[in-house]
Amino acid sequence: MNDRSRDIGTFIPGADDDMIICRCEEITKGEIRRAVHDGMFTIAEVRRMLRCGMGLCQGQTCARLVKGIVAAELGVRGTELESASARSPMRPIEMRVLGRDQ
Amino acid sequence: MKKTADVIVVGGGAIGNATAYNLAKNGVDVLVLEADEVVGNGGSSRNGGGVRQSGRDPRELPLAIYGIQHIWPNLKDELGMDVEYHREGNLRLGRTEAHRAILNGLTDRAVECGLDVRMVEGDEAREICPYLSDAVLCASWCATDGHANPMLTTLAFYRAARRLGAVYHSGAKVTEIKKQKGRARQVVTEDGDVYEADVIVLAAGYGSRAIANTVGLEVPMHTQLMEVIVTEGVAPMFWQMLGTADADFYGHQSDHGSFVFGITGGYEDFSTAVRPVSSSIAASSACRVILGYFPILENLKIVRSWAGWIDVTADHVPVFGPVEEVPGLILVCGFSGHGFGICPTAGLLLSELAQGQTPTLPVDAFRYDRFKAPA
Amino acid sequence: MTRYDLVVVGAGPAGLSAAAEAAKAGLSVCVFDENAKPGGQLFKQIHKFFGSKEHRAKTRGIRIGEELLAEAAAAGVEVVLDAAVLGLFAERELTVRVGDEVRHVKGDAIVVATGASENMVPFENWTLPGVIGAGAAQTMMNLHGVRPGKRVLMLGSGNVGLVVSFQLLQAGCEVVAIADLAPSVGGYGVHASKLARTGVPFYLSHTIVRAEGTDHVERVTIAEVDASVPGCVFVPRSEKTFDVDTICIAVGLTPMAQLLNMAGCEMKDDPARGGLVPVLDAYGETSIPGVYAAGDVSGIEEASAAMIEGRIAGLAAARRLGFLEEGAFAEAVAAQEAALAGLRKGMFAPGNKGKVFEATDEGVPIAKNLLRKGFLSEEEAKRFWLDSRVKPENDNRYSGVHPVIECTQNIPCNPCQDACAKGCILVGADITALPVVGKPEDCTACGLCVASCSGQAIFLVNEDAGDGFAEVTLPYEFLPLPESGQKGAALARDGQALCAAEVVKAAAPKAFDKTCLLTMRVPKEYAQTARFFKAEVGA
Repeated sequence: MNDRSRDIGTFIPGADDDMIICRCEEITKGEIRRAVHDGMFTIAEVRRMLRCGMGLCQGQTCARLVKGIVAAELGVRGTELESASARSPMRPIEMRVLGRDQ
Repeated sequence: MKKTADVIVVGGGAIGNATAYNLAKNGVDVLVLEADEVVGNGGSSRNGGGVRQSGRDPRELPLAIYGIQHIWPNLKDELGMDVEYHREGNLRLGRTEAHRAILNGLTDRAVECGLDVRMVEGDEAREICPYLSDAVLCASWCATDGHANPMLTTLAFYRAARRLGAVYHSGAKVTEIKKQKGRARQVVTEDGDVYEADVIVLAAGYGSRAIANTVGLEVPMHTQLMEVIVTEGVAPMFWQMLGTADADFYGHQSDHGSFVFGITGGYEDFSTAVRPVSSSIAASSACRVILGYFPILENLKIVRSWAGWIDVTADHVPVFGPVEEVPGLILVCGFSGHGFGICPTAGLLLSELAQGQTPTLPVDAFRYDRFKAPA
Repeated sequence: MTRYDLVVVGAGPAGLSAAAEAAKAGLSVCVFDENAKPGGQLFKQIHKFFGSKEHRAKTRGIRIGEELLAEAAAAGVEVVLDAAVLGLFAERELTVRVGDEVRHVKGDAIVVATGASENMVPFENWTLPGVIGAGAAQTMMNLHGVRPGKRVLMLGSGNVGLVVSFQLLQAGCEVVAIADLAPSVGGYGVHASKLARTGVPFYLSHTIVRAEGTDHVERVTIAEVDASVPGCVFVPRSEKTFDVDTICIAVGLTPMAQLLNMAGCEMKDDPARGGLVPVLDAYGETSIPGVYAAGDVSGIEEASAAMIEGRIAGLAAARRLGFLEEGAFAEAVAAQEAALAGLRKGMFAPGNKGKVFEATDEGVPIAKNLLRKGFLSEEEAKRFWLDSRVKPENDNRYSGVHPVIECTQNIPCNPCQDACAKGCILVGADITALPVVGKPEDCTACGLCVASCSGQAIFLVNEDAGDGFAEVTLPYEFLPLPESGQKGAALARDGQALCAAEVVKAAAPKAFDKTCLLTMRVPKEYAQTARFFKAEVGA
């Protein structure tokens, strides 16, 4: 059970908050940190709110980074957070190619 | 840790969060119990985002109209977060005379309900949305329909409710509601935690059914698989909500540029999956259908797909309202795939009911005990 | 719908091994790989592999890839390239994009061997062009023949960072430094040493502060991290700035387990394995019956281990489908498990990740200078002359050529023992034991031990070659090959110039497999310190 009213401290701006973490969707570290303080306590919520890891590469590069940032902000270990979901297609594919599949 | 509240909302989805937000806004002490680790992980985040009046059951229509007139337009400001609401119309497309017949029927019924729906010919449809294929023969057109981002809307209600003091426990799977001295009073979770409240709002999607069973209530409902595909983002093309006479896809372009299409492979009713998963064929068949209407999208890449459950009642209309035989319980479930568009209105009405007020709109048509043997 | 007995996703070391093993048992096998060339990372691995004969030690990865492909082809495996698997669905159905077509393929068994992807680390301006993964650099160089840059900083001193740094040198790049946040070198010491002696500096407890440049990387600044405080706090005034056009990131790999995750396999987030991995039984089967995983997708390890895991999964699939009797299966798996156990021993065993050792299995205190700076101090080098009859205090006892082995960590590797026909070098049955020079007087200076050492850690030394000179023979894998008579400088283990040196012999017979043995003449007093040759500029 995860009591979301628990105190995770207040948001303290960081010097590297402007650093881009998700390159596909251009989401910064500060946006991710703020989302956690807005109550987004899981990877899925952060992704749904900000779209980090939802772009062309589907989080191939940033998933690990996002998890680390969210965990640090919540003061938990990364393994205590759920991992990002994985969805087909594993690689982007044009609609015309899928459409040809009978 | 908080174990008692004036109102406990079971289910942190779009409906539960909207209810919690309205209660917290009125200073009510509210606690939300969400079974999943993730808030809004059920149908609330797994739907096409339609905010429609057209195509609705007349019983739901007042809720849809109220929301579109009074809540959706200001929701961004009210919740302090852009929920990507667009009221730019809904086109339901047809390519054959058979389609035209279907659309005519839908349009006639909508007009009877007083909606601003009319039939348009292919050329007018292409004026509204220039990217449509020449194969489009006709469409029904409702200018005041639209769409919003369901994930953002669900999380925006959650965020605002939490800011106003609503307490959330996620990973708190409710297994039982217990009556105390004749009233629904206690909520028991899988972990054995017992919570107490004066009013319990049961808004747990299909999960509501098993929980309602524990206080002797049954709702005839089942789950149905729905699937969605998401494209890469491209520059804005159009903001209309789309559907077809055949109901073989629906969708829209979202603010970040992706197209989000609800799709069907034709075998959803037969899924035996224990979790909502995409099938191997739905994306392909959907692309074929979509490109028939929008050939311009042929080189757009699909980057993601997902699936979800719809909780469908016997008459495809939700159960919604207080349960007299279990005082203190408000049951709300079975939105049958059209819950998202009316979630802001539902949240308002439920908060009123939970406070013992007369709701802004009547909810009698949604009674839990309306399911009777055919005469 | 096409149906095979076994469908394998990924034609890397694990996937090809699984496919070959299953096909040899009689299964119809199809392998899909999204790349244009098969072999996964093997064809980028131009260095010689560690391990034992059964692990194809001292063979270059590229050759192992060729052998594996030939084995799979001979067994009747169908390999489909440029084939991206899109999803793994119910009833073991895969959708695969081949060209402009989507195929639906079912396997009565499926082996997912999708490998791993490179981790990234964010720092100021990490998105500038020129910041690339070390694996990407390797792909550019070794598959496409493109040099990634001219001046490179490598972040990460694990084996990937070290091996790729060496390959960058081989490709003609300058590696200005290797930095690592950790306080000690993460990869094999021998890999570090062969870089350090060419003059590449190591900065441990350092990480990147920022990259700079307008439209591509022009500079990088690293700084020392204060280990005494949590988080990443830099030691004041410890910044070092380098002019570079490329920053290579080698900070670990993450299993590419998305396909298994998507399919609904039970998963576990296991940092020791590199991230989210499938939960497997002893033979690599996931929670979905008939779906197996092998190689890096189930936990980051060396390719040698991946190949064995693949074979075990292939055998398990064969048993599942009735192609292998229980007895034959048990026997075959036992042999593979024994080989795997041999690899998973020593200081770098998966279970020892992060462990700090004070001494080797032999009780020799570990070489801490090697861990901090990438090279053995003189004292450390002598500490590891493991010849019971030769003590550091009388190290000039030999007359004539003899091997000097600068192998100081317990890693699973023994080709040196097999290389010496005279039995001068002893490792013993435990392949992680340090090699001991047994009968140096029998050394014929054939050089096979030098060429066989995957870590390039064996030298032939003749302390007294006459006229006050000594001769040092070292493994040399750079082009152009120096010629006999060429003048230059002898470099010490730390890459500093020691003295003038002259090449007296440069030999690269076929048996050395492209490792040139360069013999240089140096003043006698440098016999045990001169370890690299640098040609005179313009020579």
